[in-house]
Amino acid sequence: MCPSYNRTIGMCSIASRTAVDAAEPATRAQLCIKRHRLEPAKKAKFSPMAPPVLFSEALALGLASGPACIAACGPVLVPSLLTQQAGFRPHARYLAAFLSARLLGYLLFAIAVWELGALASMLPALHMLPRAFLMGAVNILLACVLLWYAYSARHACGQSCSGSKLVNIGATTSHRAAGAVALGLLTGLSLCPPFVAAGVRAAQLPGVVQALLFFTLFFVGTSVWFVPFLGLGCLVRNQAVVTVARMAMVLIALYYLALGIAMLMEKKAYGY
Amino acid sequence: MATKACTPGPAPAAPRSSVRALMLTLPIVVWSLLMFFHPGTNTDWRSRTAAAITALFMTALFFMMMRTHTTYRWRRLFFVALGVLFPVGFIYNLVLARGTMGIPVEEMIAGRTPFCFMPIPTLILPAALTRTIVFPGSILSAGGASSHAIAAMVGLWLALTLVLGKGWCSYACFFGGIEEGMAAIPARPRLRKLDPRWRYGPWAVLLAMALLSLALFEPAYCMWLCPFKAVTEYVAARNLVGLIQNVIFVLLFAGLVIVLPFLTKKRTQCSYFCPFGAFQSIFNKISIFDVRIDQARCKSCNICQNACPNLSLSKESIARGETLISCMKCGACIDACPRQAAVWHIKGTQVALKPERARLMFLYAAWAMAILFGGSIIAQGIATILHFLA
Amino acid sequence: MSLRSKLGYTAATLTVLVALLTPFVLMGLLSKGFAGLGLHVDEMYSGGPKIRTVPYAAYAVAIHRPVHPHMLQNEMPFVQLDWSPASALPAHVSDTVDIDGDGQPDIRASFDVPVDPKAPLRVDVDSHNPRYEAMHNAGKERYSRLIARVDNSILIRIPLAHP
Repeated sequence: MCPSYNRTIGMCSIASRTAVDAAEPATRAQLCIKRHRLEPAKKAKFSPMAPPVLFSEALALGLASGPACIAACGPVLVPSLLTQQAGFRPHARYLAAFLSARLLGYLLFAIAVWELGALASMLPALHMLPRAFLMGAVNILLACVLLWYAYSARHACGQSCSGSKLVNIGATTSHRAAGAVALGLLTGLSLCPPFVAAGVRAAQLPGVVQALLFFTLFFVGTSVWFVPFLGLGCLVRNQAVVTVARMAMVLIALYYLALGIAMLMEKKAYGY
Repeated sequence: MATKACTPGPAPAAPRSSVRALMLTLPIVVWSLLMFFHPGTNTDWRSRTAAAITALFMTALFFMMMRTHTTYRWRRLFFVALGVLFPVGFIYNLVLARGTMGIPVEEMIAGRTPFCFMPIPTLILPAALTRTIVFPGSILSAGGASSHAIAAMVGLWLALTLVLGKGWCSYACFFGGIEEGMAAIPARPRLRKLDPRWRYGPWAVLLAMALLSLALFEPAYCMWLCPFKAVTEYVAARNLVGLIQNVIFVLLFAGLVIVLPFLTKKRTQCSYFCPFGAFQSIFNKISIFDVRIDQARCKSCNICQNACPNLSLSKESIARGETLISCMKCGACIDACPRQAAVWHIKGTQVALKPERARLMFLYAAWAMAILFGGSIIAQGIATILHFLA
Repeated sequence: MSLRSKLGYTAATLTVLVALLTPFVLMGLLSKGFAGLGLHVDEMYSGGPKIRTVPYAAYAVAIHRPVHPHMLQNEMPFVQLDWSPASALPAHVSDTVDIDGDGQPDIRASFDVPVDPKAPLRVDVDSHNPRYEAMHNAGKERYSRLIARVDNSILIRIPLAHP
């Protein structure tokens, strides 16, 4: 069995079935799902001779997944943007930090799935690593960061900021980058269905560099949808807006906390 | 701004003569007859009796509004009746149709979950992005307990909002009457000092629920935070999470709708929590009617601010001569003002030039809507009570 | 009277007119307008449109288009099958169904049909096609995996496995 075939099998085991099935049919058709149908000879279609097609696929997947990405990131990004200074530049800086951290999360995931794909075929126990556990942990961590962000956003640091950067992640001066990075990284690791679908696709690639490139282009495609968030910079900032944003952050954090706990307990996250 | 001593202002307007008040009430009498007794309605004696009682009730209240030149306490009577009688009729219909207040999944699949106006703001983003209504109802009527399909409720909401703006929360909402009734019970508030920043709560809930509804593709407010699930319907709990959801509903209802209004004499659910109210506030920008403060008469006694049940007046807004965007047009501040400085107003016109004209125009529109929507609900509640009594 | 005042009073008069027209014209127009927007209820609730009906003896099985979750919905994709009319079903149903229309049976669904329409239902689904998940003694577990009686039909929702 060729290494790429093994990686593919491993990725099929680890990838969320929900995520895979949630992918568009065209993408799904390309994914290695029916193990018994994939033949070693078919790995030729993953050859590096087809990068333009492959990478336009990554861009297209990213563009198509954009609404899901902004839906996933919206609850985190919108309130945190609203606690920032008004203006195009502060928002652009915040968004850049957030998206960069999100890209870092994507790339870390790309490396992990690419490598895990090879490892999983040798370590069957890794097949059992439940997505729900990972998602639950990420959601709980995200909730904690949001709560801390909402708390620390009340400290509008002026000339002197004696608190640590982590304490002041929501502050309105130079320490806001830490908050953007923390939130961006966590949303980047949120394993939403399009993200995992891209991961499954990337894992089929012959090299880790190609996987990283694939994910980068996927990221570019999704990030186009984040441009309208810059419009929030036009909204005036006053006590009302910041208070609303902080309160919303707390509510969203509580929801993510409940969701995360439910996932860890492998319970349904809804009453029905 | 320093508070000036409240010197007696101009003498309050003498009550209108009964004849004149009756003349002004005549259009409402005609409207009531049209709304309650048009052909095809009231097929049994209970419905006819309930319709007659309701028509008389609404007409009498309007008559008193005309006679006494006051609005708030008469409107409040209607609103409390609406808030109390809505669950009566609604729960009875639910039990009749499916035997329980809990929504079984079968009803959701069949699209027969009754659609109320509360999820409207949280459904906009998913609908805009995916053309999908994230609610287990039907666009057009599917029968059963759902006599109000989504399209019908949205049409009604749009029409009433065009007329009333955020006056919806004083003349149409069938949830607010319970807390308004609780707030009316004590003579004095027992809890006066609440952080004024809590009044941003509705906006925060709106923002959070809109974003979460899009992310999770579910009506997040209905699933987790609606206090009125305690007196209408809820997803029947089948596991621990469902139980937690129902406990949240009951606690929110008890806290925001019963206890806090009683302690503060404010509509605390509306002022601190309701995301639909925050959404409706946006429509106050386009509504032609509003409430203004005549700076020539105002002595900054802040009686209007204390009287407002919705925290829609602040010292800054009074100094500007206007209410905050959350004003529900209930008339409490206007009736409370000892100097008639707070007045009904039509945008574009001079403040306090002919406030009674503005009041009349607003009340004709608002009361017509109240009879159309709230009146039919009150009649249904009365008919349900008659069903049990006789 | 200034122009602004005239406009204000005109708008106020129109608002009163709108109020009067609401029950006769406006409400219906707005409702129809909303219904005409082409929106639809989330298929996670409605089960998706029917695409085929397979006749059996005294009843038929309607096959719906597979439903896939939106955005980040916490559900699996599924396909809904309706057995109707429920009143014509035998006491025990055990049918093979060709869901994808390729001439090969994809699943076998087995369930009892109680006389009391409100009695709980349980279903066993044996999968002959790896695209569809098997179910054992399933009730109403989630939107994407359930058996339920709705009006005069018995619905079964079968989660999709890897295609």
